[in-house]
Amino acid sequence: MHHFNCLRLTALHASRFTLHVSRFTFCALCLLTACTTLPELDDENAVYYWRTEWRLDSLERDWVAHYDIHKVYCRYFDVVIDEDDNNEPYPNATISFVDSVPSDLEIIPTVYITEACMHQPHEGMAERLVKRIVQMNETHDVMGVKEIQIDCDYTLRSRQTYYDFLEEVRREAAAHQLRLSTTIRLHQLSMPVPPVDYGVLMIYNTGDPQKFEERNPILDLRDVQPYLRYLDDYQLPLAAAYPVYEWLRTISGVHITHEVGADEILQVKSAVEAERNDLRHTILLYHLDADNIQRYENETFDAIYRH
Amino acid sequence: MRFIAISCMLACYQSVLACAWVETHNYYLFHVYDSEEFRHRVHDISNDNWRTYLGSTEDYYYFNANEVKDFARKKGDDLMVNYVNNLERYLKCASEVRAESWDYPTKDELAQRNRVINSVLQYAQGKLSSRLRSQHGLLVMRCNMLLGKHSDNITFWEQTASKYIESVYKEMMKNIYAGALYKTGQTDRATQIFAEQGDWESLMTQFYLKRSYAAIRDEYLSNPNSAALPFLVQDFVNNTQEAVDEDGYGKLFVRDISTREAEQMVQFAGQVVKEGKTKTPALWMTARAWMEYLLGNPVQAIAHIDEAVKLDGTDWMKNCARVIRLYIRSAQYQVSPQFDTYLGTELAWMQQMSKQTHELFYENALDRIVHQQLADKYAKAGRIETSMALLAATHAYEYENALDTLEVHSLLSFIDYFNNPSTNTLDSYLKPHINFDAINLDDLIGTKYLRLCQWDEAIPWLKKVPMSYYNSRGYAIYAARRRTDVEPWIKRQWLPLGAEYEYEEQHMTANPKITFATDMRDREAELRKLKGKDYQQACYDLAVRYAQCSFTGDCWFLMRDGKSELDEVRANETDFNAKAVGLLRRASQTTDVQLKERALFALSYAYLNPDRWFEHVWNRTTSKFDTKPQPQTLQYKAFAALIDFEQTNSKGVSTYVSRCDEYIQFRKYWKE
Repeated sequence: MHHFNCLRLTALHASRFTLHVSRFTFCALCLLTACTTLPELDDENAVYYWRTEWRLDSLERDWVAHYDIHKVYCRYFDVVIDEDDNNEPYPNATISFVDSVPSDLEIIPTVYITEACMHQPHEGMAERLVKRIVQMNETHDVMGVKEIQIDCDYTLRSRQTYYDFLEEVRREAAAHQLRLSTTIRLHQLSMPVPPVDYGVLMIYNTGDPQKFEERNPILDLRDVQPYLRYLDDYQLPLAAAYPVYEWLRTISGVHITHEVGADEILQVKSAVEAERNDLRHTILLYHLDADNIQRYENETFDAIYRH
Repeated sequence: MRFIAISCMLACYQSVLACAWVETHNYYLFHVYDSEEFRHRVHDISNDNWRTYLGSTEDYYYFNANEVKDFARKKGDDLMVNYVNNLERYLKCASEVRAESWDYPTKDELAQRNRVINSVLQYAQGKLSSRLRSQHGLLVMRCNMLLGKHSDNITFWEQTASKYIESVYKEMMKNIYAGALYKTGQTDRATQIFAEQGDWESLMTQFYLKRSYAAIRDEYLSNPNSAALPFLVQDFVNNTQEAVDEDGYGKLFVRDISTREAEQMVQFAGQVVKEGKTKTPALWMTARAWMEYLLGNPVQAIAHIDEAVKLDGTDWMKNCARVIRLYIRSAQYQVSPQFDTYLGTELAWMQQMSKQTHELFYENALDRIVHQQLADKYAKAGRIETSMALLAATHAYEYENALDTLEVHSLLSFIDYFNNPSTNTLDSYLKPHINFDAINLDDLIGTKYLRLCQWDEAIPWLKKVPMSYYNSRGYAIYAARRRTDVEPWIKRQWLPLGAEYEYEEQHMTANPKITFATDMRDREAELRKLKGKDYQQACYDLAVRYAQCSFTGDCWFLMRDGKSELDEVRANETDFNAKAVGLLRRASQTTDVQLKERALFALSYAYLNPDRWFEHVWNRTTSKFDTKPQPQTLQYKAFAALIDFEQTNSKGVSTYVSRCDEYIQFRKYWKE
């Protein structure tokens, strides 16, 4: 919990520091490029798949088809630090492909990297990571992969190492004709943009988990509001990801359930799109699961996926 | 071999319990289901089997394939050699499947792995009529599990393995069978097997997201004697307990939804007993009583727990009911001879059960009952010695703390209590748990008198303590090097770098506590005779010594065994810093300029002023801390007096004042 607060404080500092940087960068860009506009993403519906087994049931298949979803950002594995092995990063919780991947779905292999992995550079990690993804695609006949995504809650401390790592991943991925994207958390909007083709703005996990009685830690417009001012200046094409998941926690043995009301999601969507129009193009939900599908009315999904 | 690996969420759940800063003693009392039972049983029996095969009498902890094969070859047991060879091939594949490496297997490597597993499977299937059919049957099911052939495993168990003789291998096969049922969507049947086997981890994984009153009700409605019910009820009741315990987070539970859910469960438990369909009414009635107590209804709780101990249930359930009855009665009953007798009987029973079962449950229950109910109850009833003996029985650090802060006459009474013969069952139970060390006690009693500034009373006790005792104490390195006549506001007595972390035998020849007590006795006696400047100088000198022996001083070891940043003035201890401040005020009245300056400077010393002259307030605009002076504090006033002294004294102030960084800071704000 203290760790969380530290991160929040870091983000607070970061926002002030990088505000100046981004203003400077923006002015410099204006002078040099006469304010070139960012390329816009396509109008697309997509979804994250965040389980450890690839297996879609009939409800999930129907839902994917119904919402015309052709892109699934599928978590392939995590990368964590092995404290028993000289603090070297290693893959963990790799997905197992129980079913085959339908040919009409484009999979975007997604790798979650813990922030601790980015406290120092790890030579060769980018190459190993891309090689592993490519091998997983080949072993399990995952065809038509055009892109990979890296997810990391980088902070001021780890940002530079992470960006250097992304540069390497991008080079390695390009050798396999793969694009690169990364997740962007709200507090990361105040930092310089990462070296990727585009980012997915994670519009969830916005609150303080400790203060869950005051605000929904998954999503609350009041927690999003302070970051909206960064959106317009953020020089990276962005997709938007919204939460439809439920968070079950046990605090001192007490079960606490969090889920976000449809109204809240739609209010936030409206607020972020008002601030930055291109966030209405590529829209993702976190995450694909029968329970999540049943949690909301069709009208809610229709409204979230409205471009 | 486990079917379902425990989830990360469970690890988090358990870690919450382990992260408490202060011991809350909130051990679970509702304990009818052992979370380690299956794991231990399978592990222990398997190891026993290998040990028996090897003809060894030594403890056997880890399966060693080479050792078994060598032994089997000597015996000419080819079947065992082949079995172990194939078991190793299987285990290697299984570890490769589990292992996460950067080199992801290719299709060919996966195919090769599958070929090996299929080959082991084929081998094992061919030995199902052999002497080691159970072991080979288990190998068949393990291979099927890795290959994802869950339906094959279901068929194999139902048609073949279920008819094998009872053994640990059969139990493991049944566990894999339950896993196959789970994998193929037959979760209810899987649940029953996991529950019957006591496979807590698989049950918890299966039910993690579903544990609730509603889940318990549904499970009961589908089968009033479902094997999963003890697991679910225990989980629910302990969550209730955890929630209302005094651990900070627990208060969160007392929110409408959770309280309502617990109350629904209370009602439901009563309904279950009334319906008479359950074979274990003790489980439900105990749950009801314990939750009633936790929710603040002790009267109903007592009535229902008295009923619960008479009802049917497993031994665990009945014992659990008895322990909870002891807790509730300990909370509600008055101290009396009758209660003493009851308590003595129950505590002796718990001790016996603890020895018999080797279950931590009874020790934990004792700990909770004593620390949350009995120690305080007996202390309030004036039975300090019983309260202390109860604490001693729990072996908790609170006993040492209580011993340390106990009034000296109470400690002497406690020693008398220990030395006199027992007069009732409670004393008979308690006294063997008390362990006194005579030298330690002499030092403690002497130190307690020191803490009260009763120097003459302290000295005789301290004289009984040999120097070897002081030279071997952890604080000896400080005691040997520090002096009580050094002004702490001018010079700190730091030890050489690293000395604190290296053991160095000390050779003190004089007891530092007696030296101090004698010095203080003489100085205080002298003080009463003095007047004027001499009196003020003597006040200052005494203040130096009081400040040194306080918990913030360099000679803290005179009054306590250890030092911590969290230290404060303890119960039955003089506030030595406050005494120092009083004496310094008197000293500061002197006309001796040097003494006045020293006294005023001492009065501004941070350790004599718990309330600082400033506060740091976070400034959200500048992202820095702002210093806000606090003129109402004594330290502020002391620094202000020092400035006044500087301004009125023709020579200004000495360098020890002018170079003091805090004084410099204060002057900055004083000017503002």
